[in-house]
Amino acid sequence: MAAPFADSTSELVKIFNQKNRGRIHLEVIKGPLETEAISDLAISSLLLGNTPFDGLLMDVTWVPKYAKAGWLESLDNYFNEDDLNALAEGADEGNHYQGSLLRWPLNADIGLLYWRTDLMDEPPRTPQELESISQKLQNGGRIPYGYVWQGKQYEGLSCVFLEIIDGFGGEWFSPDSGRIGLDEPPGLDASEWLNHLIQTGVSPRAVTNFAESEALQSFKSGQAAFMRNWPYAWAELQKNDSQVRNKVGITTMVAEKGHQPAATLGSWGLSLLKGSAHPESTVEAFKFLTSEESQRYLYTKYGNTPTKAEIFNDQKLLENYPSLQSIGEALAYARSRPETPLYAQISVVLQRKLSSSLTGMTTPVEAMQQAERSTAQVLEAAGESP
Amino acid sequence: MKATRFLILALLVWSLAPLTWQLYTSFCTDQALVTPFASLNQRWTLDHYQSVLNSNPPFIRYLLNSLFVGGLSTFLTLLLAIPSSYSLSKMGRRSSLVIKFFLIGCALFPYVLLFLALLEIARYLQLGNSLIALAVPYAALSQPLAILLLTNAFSDLPAELEDAARVEGLSVVQRFRWILLPLISPAIASTAILVFLFSWNEYPIALTWISDSGKLTLPVAMARIAGSSIHSVPYGPYAAATVIGSIPLILLVMVFQKPIVSGLTTGAVKG
Amino acid sequence: MPLLILLIPSLLFLVAVFALPLFRYTWLSFHADSVMTGLVAIPNQGANWQRFIHDTRYLQDLFQTLRFSVVSVTAEIVLGLVIALILHQPMRKRALIRSSALIPWALPTTVMALGWRWIFNTPYGPIDRLTQSWLGQSLNALGEPSIAWITTVYADIWKTTPFVALILLAGLQTIPSDLYEAAKLEGAGSWICLRRITIPLLLPYLGLALMFRLAQAFGVFDLVQVMTGGGPASSTESIALYAYWNALRFLDFGYSATIMIGSFVILSSLILITWLVVTTARNRSQQSLAR
Repeated sequence: MAAPFADSTSELVKIFNQKNRGRIHLEVIKGPLETEAISDLAISSLLLGNTPFDGLLMDVTWVPKYAKAGWLESLDNYFNEDDLNALAEGADEGNHYQGSLLRWPLNADIGLLYWRTDLMDEPPRTPQELESISQKLQNGGRIPYGYVWQGKQYEGLSCVFLEIIDGFGGEWFSPDSGRIGLDEPPGLDASEWLNHLIQTGVSPRAVTNFAESEALQSFKSGQAAFMRNWPYAWAELQKNDSQVRNKVGITTMVAEKGHQPAATLGSWGLSLLKGSAHPESTVEAFKFLTSEESQRYLYTKYGNTPTKAEIFNDQKLLENYPSLQSIGEALAYARSRPETPLYAQISVVLQRKLSSSLTGMTTPVEAMQQAERSTAQVLEAAGESP
Repeated sequence: MKATRFLILALLVWSLAPLTWQLYTSFCTDQALVTPFASLNQRWTLDHYQSVLNSNPPFIRYLLNSLFVGGLSTFLTLLLAIPSSYSLSKMGRRSSLVIKFFLIGCALFPYVLLFLALLEIARYLQLGNSLIALAVPYAALSQPLAILLLTNAFSDLPAELEDAARVEGLSVVQRFRWILLPLISPAIASTAILVFLFSWNEYPIALTWISDSGKLTLPVAMARIAGSSIHSVPYGPYAAATVIGSIPLILLVMVFQKPIVSGLTTGAVKG
Repeated sequence: MPLLILLIPSLLFLVAVFALPLFRYTWLSFHADSVMTGLVAIPNQGANWQRFIHDTRYLQDLFQTLRFSVVSVTAEIVLGLVIALILHQPMRKRALIRSSALIPWALPTTVMALGWRWIFNTPYGPIDRLTQSWLGQSLNALGEPSIAWITTVYADIWKTTPFVALILLAGLQTIPSDLYEAAKLEGAGSWICLRRITIPLLLPYLGLALMFRLAQAFGVFDLVQVMTGGGPASSTESIALYAYWNALRFLDFGYSATIMIGSFVILSSLILITWLVVTTARNRSQQSLAR
């Protein structure tokens, strides 16, 4: 498991082991902090034909790759219709590949738009609104920056982009049809809009080096009117050292009129590795870790976004944690990044091209056209049938 | 000469400073690492060494794995290279030159490029996670250097020695055992130590062939430790690992300095 | 000849380990062999090569690798010569000093790479503390794309200069000392000795060290993977690392093979050119020495 999750679930694991003493013992191995490093470690064993673990906590983008490589055991026999229906809308995204259920979600992270309730009455619904509100506030000297987001050349940038291109009515890549939508009008518009934000000063130039923590830092110290970040940021913003305590609202990302907003799905889930010697026990452990009680515990103690619909409708919980409602609403708009085994490669292509346009090395249109071409070449060279 | 003394000192500082810094860091508490002038009594600790040595699997395991692979590959290398260099040293000038060219070409080859083909072999033949199997590519990669060094050694022997022995009726095996091998033993020592060093330091092939944490060789284990940072300042344990990992090699270099130097220098001269 | 038989096992081994992979890579490069094809090779009519010649990431990595190699190797040769000259002098405790000079080379790269990460760490490492107190600013050596590569160069120089020094030392030991005596009698200072005697006679060794080091530096992998992970922002990424990730992270064996065979061709051309330059320089210097 990724280190943060290993830590947050350690209590639960202890309880599970106590309950099942003598029958099942679950050992959680703490993996490196960097997401890709965990996958590298697993892959190096799997490629040699070994199954290093029984289960793996998987990032949503790994599922197609591991599935296509034949490393995941189907969970269809262990979870039924009812289980799937019990999940909140949007939490069930990214767990299937080619019809099989291969991952059971542990949390349901999505990209959110954070806004300052003390500076405006209503959050913006369209990109233009976001811009005009920001500019009004900036011109009036009320705030230095309008909108901070993750613009560094890394996976976070792809997440940001997905929300925008979908909000403009386009699509990055559809594995089913093989269509790449980067050089079509919505893709070009999305790229141009992000550039525009920087050029007009709505977003600071430094945003091209921002990951989640830098954007959070900026918003937390009261320097921005809007921020794009994951649900975890909410708890951070309510801490005592935050300048914007009790002045924050969350909503879905902006979208063009006539198009639905999109919230990039960033969830982690549990998968059963093929070749595991204890599939039933492992799935039992999965079920325990994702049970309703466990989810309440993880949410209230660690801010881990739950997946079960019931929890989002729990009145008592909502009283104490009002942000849960907005998160649940945004979850309904969850969008998965292109579910292809080659995702990592096409994401890198997009990140590099987008980043070069954001830093002014290419124009937004050129960047998207190059990205389109490179993506096509990657797919073709790797044997993706068009 | 004063200037030479100063230069020698500079050389020593340059060569040893980074390691010395690691040694220093390994005994500092985490607190001391982040605050430059902390109070002295909170400065020193043996915790880092404890955590490294008591890790799962224990750090010593990695050293033993490297030792095993190193020894085995050295043995295999010599097994193959000694007969080869003997025959090469007896060959005519032209053909031996061609082969030497080929060997130098192999020695120049950046072997990291071989990792994919070797990975495919490991998958196909199920050789993954076997320290014994790992010694085989190591022996192969060490052949060029070994053959070149040993051929020189054989060529340097005066021909009359062997002729005299042959006349006295000693078979090839006996000649080897009693005359040739003892006479070139310095070269064998140099070759052995250089091959051993190579296999201790080798990284890309061990990285792709071994994934089981109990079977890792030292370089791969260190890389894993490097990638597994879950703390903000993990450098205390890192430094302890560096020191422990370096000790065997430092001892090796100190003890075998002469064969190492002579091996490389003769290789250079004849190369 | 019966003797030849003894040579055959080694040669077979060598051909298998060095030549066969190259053929395999060439063949693979014309196939799609990735997770999409279930890691089975399927012909793809040169699509990998189409991708390769337009691959800006490869171009960037090639540039970075060449920059790394050229700068490191140049520094190593200069420094190596200095160290060789030092070690050539008679001195007390010669063995101890030589051993100490050799230690950097004997340590596995990955072991020391961690050490470098700490030494260059911002803000707690010694280097950063120094720049903070002298220049008032944090250097952020490992986080700044424009200078991070220099730290890898330094780490490489530290490790491999002893190797170069030893090769050059071997060369120094072959220069007869009466040459220097004769020159001194004619009133030549040490600088002239260096230029007119030492360096020309060392050319074969300089050439050898140059070619060896260039080839090795071109394939830099261990150092970059552990010390910087290719970052920040891929500024220290090398060709070998890119090829490795294509295979092990992206599960695209066909493209990884393409990168490697393409790089091999580029490297071979470079070595060939270097060899030609060095040989010409040797011939020219031999002519001038004869005079």
